Amino acid sequence: MATFAAYTVIGLSLGGIFSLAALGIVLIYRTTGVLNFAHGAMGMFSTFVAWQVFYGWSHPFWPGWFSTFLAVVAGLIFAAAMGLLLELSVFRWVRGREPVVKAVITIGILLALQSAASLIWHNNQYHLPIYILPQQWVLSVADVPIGANSLVIIGAALGLAFGLGAFLRYTGFGRAMRAVSDSPTSASLWGVPVGRVGAVSWMLGSLVAALAGILITPFINFDTTSLTLLIIDALAAALIGGLVSLPLTVLGGFVLGLLETYPTIWIQSIGFPRLVALIVILAVLVVRNPRGFSVAAK
Amino acid sequence: MFRLLGALLAFAVLARIPVGFDVGFKFDAALAVIWAFGLLSLVLLTGYVGQISLCQATFAGVGAYTAGMMVSSFHVDYLVAVVAGVVAAAALGVVVGLPALRLRGITLAIVTLGIALVFDRYVFQDHAFEWFTGGTGGWRVSQATMFGLQMDSSAHLMAAYLVLLGLFCVVAVLLVNLHESGAGRRFRAIRDSELAAATMGVDLTRYKLLAFGMSAAIAGLGGSFYPLVAGSVSPQPFWLFTSLQFAAIAVLMGVRYVPAAALGGAFMAFVPDVLTRYGHGAFMGHAYEISYDWFQVAVGVLLIVQLIALPDGVWGDLRRRFRHAWSSVGMVGGRRVKVA
Repeated sequence: MATFAAYTVIGLSLGGIFSLAALGIVLIYRTTGVLNFAHGAMGMFSTFVAWQVFYGWSHPFWPGWFSTFLAVVAGLIFAAAMGLLLELSVFRWVRGREPVVKAVITIGILLALQSAASLIWHNNQYHLPIYILPQQWVLSVADVPIGANSLVIIGAALGLAFGLGAFLRYTGFGRAMRAVSDSPTSASLWGVPVGRVGAVSWMLGSLVAALAGILITPFINFDTTSLTLLIIDALAAALIGGLVSLPLTVLGGFVLGLLETYPTIWIQSIGFPRLVALIVILAVLVVRNPRGFSVAAK
Repeated sequence: MFRLLGALLAFAVLARIPVGFDVGFKFDAALAVIWAFGLLSLVLLTGYVGQISLCQATFAGVGAYTAGMMVSSFHVDYLVAVVAGVVAAAALGVVVGLPALRLRGITLAIVTLGIALVFDRYVFQDHAFEWFTGGTGGWRVSQATMFGLQMDSSAHLMAAYLVLLGLFCVVAVLLVNLHESGAGRRFRAIRDSELAAATMGVDLTRYKLLAFGMSAAIAGLGGSFYPLVAGSVSPQPFWLFTSLQFAAIAVLMGVRYVPAAALGGAFMAFVPDVLTRYGHGAFMGHAYEISYDWFQVAVGVLLIVQLIALPDGVWGDLRRRFRHAWSSVGMVGGRRVKVA
């Protein structure tokens, strides 16, 4: 029972990461119509930037919390800048093209970012985590230790889902983003700044991807490929939400995290969770074939 | 007739080129044909039928592992191993085609990406599939015979290359002919609009599964020669990023054109090797070293630029320019339109 509970904590943390990554995908897909296969790669690159600041450039006499803060801020700023740059230099020019063409472009970005990262940081496996909160902070609920960092992930996923939801619903710019996601043409006729909406969603999406990447570092041995390949789990979670709904996406992320973690109690295999993700994707797409998807897939 | 002559001419020219180069380049030449098979499978699947797939390297890998298993475990003739590899790949292709019956576009891309990842991280690497993958070291194919002749990897590289090239020319001509045939017309109808094709009586189930099976068989045909050429099989050449590179390079070179596959295969095999061989030295006092990763960066950037600037791919653009130039050459000395 204790194992089960411990795995539940791990599963929920992992699910929080999937949710965060998936939120960015859904946000970008809804407002710009780009299904971003490079989302994992973008998160990976920003994570490595944060990691570089933390382990490479921090002064040993700085207090730990300051280095962490600096690293996270640097990673997030870099992510936002990268999102903006991609929108301005690439996606602004293909706005009218078919969704498949845009998706293939993101595959080009994935390849370029992944190898650029392995050029800079090489193909080593790193286990040098960035702890947002001290590792010693552990909450014990009925003898099950829950790390503070797990709680941060779960909280960030839930908070962002509802925060983004509220932002889209109650602010003027959020309304503009929803208008663009319904129809860019009619939104622009009403004076909605379609270009600026695209730029902001790319910055936000990229930021959330970076957050997911930085938060996962305490939980896995990471290298340039493993973070890039988070994309498949994130896509699975996003598909559960039909690529539209933010709360369902987060729910999907948590469910997927648990589904991928429980089998590892019995099956010692690195690859088996990938099979779980594929089965979830197939189940969502083929069996359920969500309505929301056909609306969004314009 | 022209096509047959063209294929024969291409075979005669290409067969001579690696002679006189060292073993490394001969290996690249054989590898180029294997990759070209992978790209050709995308010409059929994406260019003709309009189905996107990000798991072509998986099909090639299944072909390679099946052939390696047949040779290492059952000591069969390599010809039998190739046939087994093609059949296994085609079977997997049909299975992958099943979800594709209900999906198209981006959703199909997601599913095939997931399949590529499952094979990359699970099937090709897990202990549960050691009977298929030969364990962590993969299969070592040191003794292989084809038609009873010894086909050792390093000494008989040219023989393997010639067989591969011959097969490629045959499949390429068949694919060009398929484009105009009845099945090819149905394939193109599916590409343009599945709904319209179904309305006109095209059996979508049959032709989509056929396309996936044929495409996987083509990729598997190339892949099943990999153990012969490289001497061993490992997961690395058939991992997810090869699949992504297949998709990227096929689109980059022009996914609707059969010759673009050959161009892309050569690009994919030679450029990284030339870069790693000669791409190091010193420039203005700074030592530099160009590794394989630069190739993948270049592929990514070129793909983005191509999709924005030349939607029909490199070969498509060259072809259009050539036709344009040719038609203006034809105008010289021809019928002149008198003005006034």
